[in-house]
Amino acid sequence: MIPLLLLALFMAGCDKLGSVFVEEDLLQRPPAKRCSDCHTQIYREWKESRHFHAWISKEFRLESENHTKTKCLSCHAPHQVDPGKKPVLRAEFREDGVSCVACHFKEESRTMHGPLRVWSPPHPSRQDLSYTKSKFCAGCHQETFREWKLAKVDRSCQSCHMPSLGKRRLIQKFPFYFFHRPKPRNSHRFPSLRAMQEDIKVELKGNKLMITNVGVPHNLPTADQGDPRLYLIAKVSYRDGRKRTVRKLLSAQSKTSLRYNVPYELRLPAGEIRSVDLTVLRKLSWKKGKETLLKLTLRTPSP
Amino acid sequence: MKFKRVAVLLLFITGVSLSTDRIVLKKPPRSLDRYYPPVSKKFEFLSNMHTMSTAFTGIRLNVNDGNWEKALFWAKELKKTYLKTSRMVPEWKDYFKPSLAENLVKAVGSRNVDRVIDATKKLGKTCAKCHQDNQMAVKLLYHFPSFEKVSIEDPVEFMELKTGDYMKKLADSLKALKVYLIQGESEKAQESGLNFVERARQLRSMCSKCHTNKLSEEVIVGKDFEKSLSRMEELLSAGKPKKDEVFKLLNSVGMSCAKCHNVHLVPAVVREAFGK
Repeated sequence: MIPLLLLALFMAGCDKLGSVFVEEDLLQRPPAKRCSDCHTQIYREWKESRHFHAWISKEFRLESENHTKTKCLSCHAPHQVDPGKKPVLRAEFREDGVSCVACHFKEESRTMHGPLRVWSPPHPSRQDLSYTKSKFCAGCHQETFREWKLAKVDRSCQSCHMPSLGKRRLIQKFPFYFFHRPKPRNSHRFPSLRAMQEDIKVELKGNKLMITNVGVPHNLPTADQGDPRLYLIAKVSYRDGRKRTVRKLLSAQSKTSLRYNVPYELRLPAGEIRSVDLTVLRKLSWKKGKETLLKLTLRTPSP
Repeated sequence: MKFKRVAVLLLFITGVSLSTDRIVLKKPPRSLDRYYPPVSKKFEFLSNMHTMSTAFTGIRLNVNDGNWEKALFWAKELKKTYLKTSRMVPEWKDYFKPSLAENLVKAVGSRNVDRVIDATKKLGKTCAKCHQDNQMAVKLLYHFPSFEKVSIEDPVEFMELKTGDYMKKLADSLKALKVYLIQGESEKAQESGLNFVERARQLRSMCSKCHTNKLSEEVIVGKDFEKSLSRMEELLSAGKPKKDEVFKLLNSVGMSCAKCHNVHLVPAVVREAFGK
């Protein structure tokens, strides 16, 4: 009789069990630091990302004239990130930039969404496979998404910019980490990455250098409002001993970026070319210095 | 008839009368800075102007409708904002006559149309005087974003330049192209021309510093602009360029220059002259 009574009590309480452990403040759009109480590793990764710097970066503060260019703000402190939809500006904790709640908390369900199916007593969670698709990023990274679509590749934004870290624990707080087995985890550092030598194909055809982005499935460089740049410096030696240098500045904003699989033609001054030393440098929007992507010498066969 | 007089009078107050052969722009006081971006995000001063303008209309409509209570509400709103505004920029304190705002409230309270007209006229004159002296300079200075912080990288020399310096380099390479073409010095024309093409192409990167909507870029430096530049690049790269064809293309490129200058040049020159 007693076990039956206990079972009945347990059954009656089951629907309320989910809410017993809920920590209400987690559903009140807390600052990112609060999420780090349990998701310490993910928080640490995110702190190193550009998403963390989105609002507080010195460059953004300058470009947005101390956050007064209102059109720029919503992607730098979004309220809620939804696939393919430009977000609205968040009212609170803007200094958190593209924060945990901006991407994972959905107002409609008052639930944390993510790509995994998990049981998480402190806050309701829901599996949402849109987190694995490029469209998820498209609300803010509209131009890059458009370029990626033209590239017609299978690789998603996440497969390069949220690389797999293998199986890891989602939470680090004792004793809760015992509740989950390690699960497939992807980096929240959102690395900018750097094109490798093999990503850029260079051919010398007569007096033209044909430069093709064959490895990065979006423009090189790419940006919506940022101003990353690519520098081409070709030092040309002619058979008659002349030397000329040709420089080109390619940028997302001047619409001169290297498109995926579309050759870019760099015209070299007329003459019989012996060799070309090509250097390709890049400068990211938020960095002062340039980095070398490629350095090579192309020679024409002796006549 | 009286109602018409109120309407005409209000038109006079809210606009700037400019039947003159001379316009003098005075640099607005620095204390106005705090009511406009980048210091403030709210355009508080402008917002007060709109509030007062709406209140004037509220008075006119309700006096015309014979709704004196509502007219009184707007007169009080006007007085409140007028007084608040009078305290915002100390250097402009003398433009404001708070007693005249109070007179208007009393006039509306008396329900006497002649008194309302008289009070409106007197108060309106204080607005008009300030607008005549300052409105245009304020618009040019505070309503157009500054080019001061907009820089652009010269694609020829890989140097970050201020807008004015960049425009000078762009214009210099354009003029050099013209000179060498006219003189028949093809190689020099080619070098200056290709530099001009690169610099003109790079202009687009300036737009995005303020315009998030790509349509504004398209209107000024869109497909036609790029088509002309590409054709010019082709002609110049091929060796001895055809002078007439290059000049024709320059006309087409010049349309884009004019479109942008028509919008941005005057405010930029005024800002520069004021050292702002």
